[in-house]
Amino acid sequence: MTNKLLQAAAMQKVAEQHSGSRRALLKSLGAAGLVTAASGLALPAHVLAQMSNEQPPAKPRYGGRIRVATNSMSTKDTLDPAKASLSTDYVRIYMVYSGLTQFNRELGADPALAETFESEDQQNWQVTLRSGVTFHDGKSLTPQDVVYSLLRHKDPAVTSRAAPIAAQFKEVVVTGPMSLRITLHAPNADLPVMLASSNFCIVADGTTDFSQTANGTGPYRLKEFSAGVRTVGEKNPNFWKPGKPYLDEIELVGIADESSRVNALLSGDIQMALAINPRSTKRVRRSGTADIMQTESSLYTNLIMRQDAYPTNNPDFVLAVKYMMNRELIQRALFRGYATIANDHPVAPSHKYFNHELPQRPYDIDRAKYHLKKAGLTGARVPVFASPAAEGSVDMAALLQLSGIEAGMHFGINRVPADGYWSNHWMKHPLGFGNINPRVSLDELFSLFYKSDAPWNESGWNNPQFDQLLAAARGEGDEAKRKQMYWDMQELISEQCGTSIPVFMNLIDGHDKRIKGNFPIPTGGLMGYSFAEYVWLDA
Amino acid sequence: MNVLKSMPLSGKLGALLVVFWVFIAVFGPWLAPHSASEIVAYDVFEPIGGDYLLGTDYIGRDVFSRILDGTRFTIFIPLLAAALACSAGTLIALFSAVSGPRTDEVISRFMDALISIPSKIFSLVMIAAFGSSVPLLLTITAISYMPGSFRIARALAVNVANMDFVTVARTRGESRLYLAVKEILPNILHPMLADFGLRFVFVVLLLSSLSFLGLGVQPPEADLGSLVRENISGLAEGAPAVIIPAIAIATITIAVNLLIDSLRGGATYAARGK
Amino acid sequence: MKVIFQLIIKRIGLSIITLLIVSAVVFFIANLLPGDAAQEMLGQSATPEAVAELREAYGLNDPPMLRYAKWLGGLLSGDAGTSLANARPVSELISSRLSQSLMLAGFTALLAVPFAMVLGIVAAMYSGSRIDKAMNIFTLSMVAVPEFLLATIFVLIFAVELNWLPSLSYIPADAGVYDYFRAFAMPVATLCIVLSAQMARMTRAAVLEQLSQPYVEMALLKGSPLSRAVLRHALPNAVGPIVNAVALSLSYLLGGVVIVEVIFNYPGVASLMVDAVTNRDMPLLQACAMLFCTGYLILVLIADISAIVANPKLRTGG
Repeated sequence: MTNKLLQAAAMQKVAEQHSGSRRALLKSLGAAGLVTAASGLALPAHVLAQMSNEQPPAKPRYGGRIRVATNSMSTKDTLDPAKASLSTDYVRIYMVYSGLTQFNRELGADPALAETFESEDQQNWQVTLRSGVTFHDGKSLTPQDVVYSLLRHKDPAVTSRAAPIAAQFKEVVVTGPMSLRITLHAPNADLPVMLASSNFCIVADGTTDFSQTANGTGPYRLKEFSAGVRTVGEKNPNFWKPGKPYLDEIELVGIADESSRVNALLSGDIQMALAINPRSTKRVRRSGTADIMQTESSLYTNLIMRQDAYPTNNPDFVLAVKYMMNRELIQRALFRGYATIANDHPVAPSHKYFNHELPQRPYDIDRAKYHLKKAGLTGARVPVFASPAAEGSVDMAALLQLSGIEAGMHFGINRVPADGYWSNHWMKHPLGFGNINPRVSLDELFSLFYKSDAPWNESGWNNPQFDQLLAAARGEGDEAKRKQMYWDMQELISEQCGTSIPVFMNLIDGHDKRIKGNFPIPTGGLMGYSFAEYVWLDA
Repeated sequence: MNVLKSMPLSGKLGALLVVFWVFIAVFGPWLAPHSASEIVAYDVFEPIGGDYLLGTDYIGRDVFSRILDGTRFTIFIPLLAAALACSAGTLIALFSAVSGPRTDEVISRFMDALISIPSKIFSLVMIAAFGSSVPLLLTITAISYMPGSFRIARALAVNVANMDFVTVARTRGESRLYLAVKEILPNILHPMLADFGLRFVFVVLLLSSLSFLGLGVQPPEADLGSLVRENISGLAEGAPAVIIPAIAIATITIAVNLLIDSLRGGATYAARGK
Repeated sequence: MKVIFQLIIKRIGLSIITLLIVSAVVFFIANLLPGDAAQEMLGQSATPEAVAELREAYGLNDPPMLRYAKWLGGLLSGDAGTSLANARPVSELISSRLSQSLMLAGFTALLAVPFAMVLGIVAAMYSGSRIDKAMNIFTLSMVAVPEFLLATIFVLIFAVELNWLPSLSYIPADAGVYDYFRAFAMPVATLCIVLSAQMARMTRAAVLEQLSQPYVEMALLKGSPLSRAVLRHALPNAVGPIVNAVALSLSYLLGGVVIVEVIFNYPGVASLMVDAVTNRDMPLLQACAMLFCTGYLILVLIADISAIVANPKLRTGG
């Protein structure tokens, strides 16, 4: 009896906090959209050298050849930036091509082929290109190449992976011998960051055939490409970053099996390996010849509770499941500590807009029981779909099943194969798992996965307040106000959205100890997939 | 009892092991000290003889409990699948051998078509289409190995069908059914028993191959092959989580084959009057 | 000789029928797969409109029968079609992988077949003896080890610990005999163990079966030595089942070696077909299936001819 009263009191408190947050939300919305300040990045060439990311501990050494393995490889491998969809593609694209901007380790974007990237209103962006950049075939970089590279994503025949983002482009026009203007349908302060993704790398004007050739401006020239087998790049002596790259040749392969990948690293057959399992780190470290590099990222595997299906549309059921997530156990047992605890929203603690005042949701079976009972679902049997395609989801489902038994319900696990998961299962069941790659831009992340009419609104969540905040934040130039809006949005997702995000997974790469010059870039493993231009091989 | 007494030592050993594993398969889940899916320890790949009899697995579950729980899949799926594959294969082969050349040809071509589709890829497609479940795994493995059984049975049956005593029976005007069941079947039964033993092993292997490709028994359940697969990263440190299930698979398959060998061995000797 | 020649002609005709059955079976099974190439191509980022457009471009909106007919028509005129996943001709994709697969299969067969024959015949000759029992246990335990475990053990010992062999089977462009040996040593060893164990067991069973036949007993009673009885009488009659078992085992070497290809990162046709399934790349999937079927039919043809040559009674009945 007393226990129940205590629980009810706790619930009351939660409800109060909730209404408090609602007031705060309204405040931030009211102030939105009034102030717009000039933002963007404009950096002359000579500053670039100083602000570039690496602080070399030693003098780089030139020469050498390395073999690098990612975790996938198939006949679908591509040389077309627009079609790049897997880590192997990203690495290959960044080897051969450059973008207008590139990611840095602070979760921002530095200018790359663009020398300046400016906007007064976050809607009309002026871009000045770096001069003297040449493609691998000797052709000089012109604004027309950029216009072509950006607009081809809008052509359905290209089947671009970035088509939903490119849909924001209203117009891309040449404005001078080395300048162009990108006009968006609506303001978006994150454009420089979004254009740093591998899909938006710059190709030569008019290129349509990517089957065997790749003409880019990147650090390595394509020497050999065989889909599903290997990619070999040789040093581009005319690379636009003076003094780079360092290696003579990089061979890129894919080794799907993790234990084979680790064995290849330890036997010296490869020098860098993407995606090492936390359980293998001890072995790699102990080897003496290889080491690991950890990248804190915002990659997450989440449990999706569809809002248009029974019983996951019940808000109490959603809360019950969120309390059943044993985050500490997931972090400890599944990821051996190589993960950061998350708070049921997709913003990682390392992000500058992370809401650190939002209380961490605990693992609390009593509260789960309370909500389950309130939902009238005690004793229910609910199927949950998991797949190796969503990393860790199968084990997470097993842990959830155990918590469910304690809380008084049964989760039936359906494991489905990785292939076809995204098209046939993802978002198609009341309860299933998703896996979302790091996105630097919160606007991109929220627009793609949480907005009511988002193409991949995973849980089918419909929250007009969230949508308004999102639209307002996009054009908000005042940093403090923008931050408050993103804070409010995180709270809304955590409290109300049908998604449970237990942890953010750290990315672990393995490398030969002679590999130098590498550092984490949080957009992905292997330095945000762009290691090629940075690393060298010490003797 | 007589059969057991007349068995060679290897046969007795085989029978003993088979009884042991069938016992584990039936009662294992009740004997397990922990739940097979419960994470009991922080440390992974613990060695034998610590707090947990056979150590812990890759996320800290009790290996002993998981083996007790998983054995039933490794025993019953292959046993049923091999029995289905062999009996269906043999029956069709008998029918084919006593039918006219045209029927024989049609059946043989169809079986050739089935057999030439690699079993792993067939499984991959079927599981992608229907989702992995125990009945489906049973069906897939039975279908995969049936044509192989058929080919071997048919080769044997055609050989026998060409022997004098069958020709004599045929000219005597015996029915096809009589020829198949009374004349041919007894003479191909022994090699087919050996074939059954091998098919059993093949199904065990196919199941573990499927687990390698991520298509096997549904977690948190796992057959012994899946246990080997999910703990393979512990091999370098010699973790019991990978070695013990592998040894379990080996003893199961060896036991089944020793038992069958000694049964047919005894039968062969009997036929030869020794 | 004339009989054999006729048989080959007849078999080629029948093989075409088998190939047709395979194509229909594979087409039917593949159509059970949920999703299609358009969805797989666009993956997680697929919007319904984009999928619909791509589907149209791939011709996936045609009824299945029409697609099958189109594909078959193309095949008959020598065009295996274009891969949906990477827009290159299927024939080109396969040919580069096929040579690799044949090389691996060839080396394995060269080692495994004689090894298994000798093992099986010796075990049969001395059936019941210690040699037989030892071989029995040895082949059984070899056949019972999952091949991924076997391969991983090899890699740990010979690549990671001893550093004698590379853990990945790459053949450099300017490879010499030694490079080939190093690249193939572990995959071939793995496959040999897996295959020869089962071939040896079938050989032993078939020879043993013949040894128990009255005519062999007769020969033995007449005083002919055991080795002669085996080689002259038992073996020719056991050839049928043996070559069948060998043919079945070897056909495994084309399509069944996915795991070895995955672990050693060897670019063969089996992993190509897995890719085709994953990407729902029907033209490639169909072509791979036809390839495996053809390979199998060739092996079976060889097996049948050997059986007929060895057993005169089958010559008239065949």
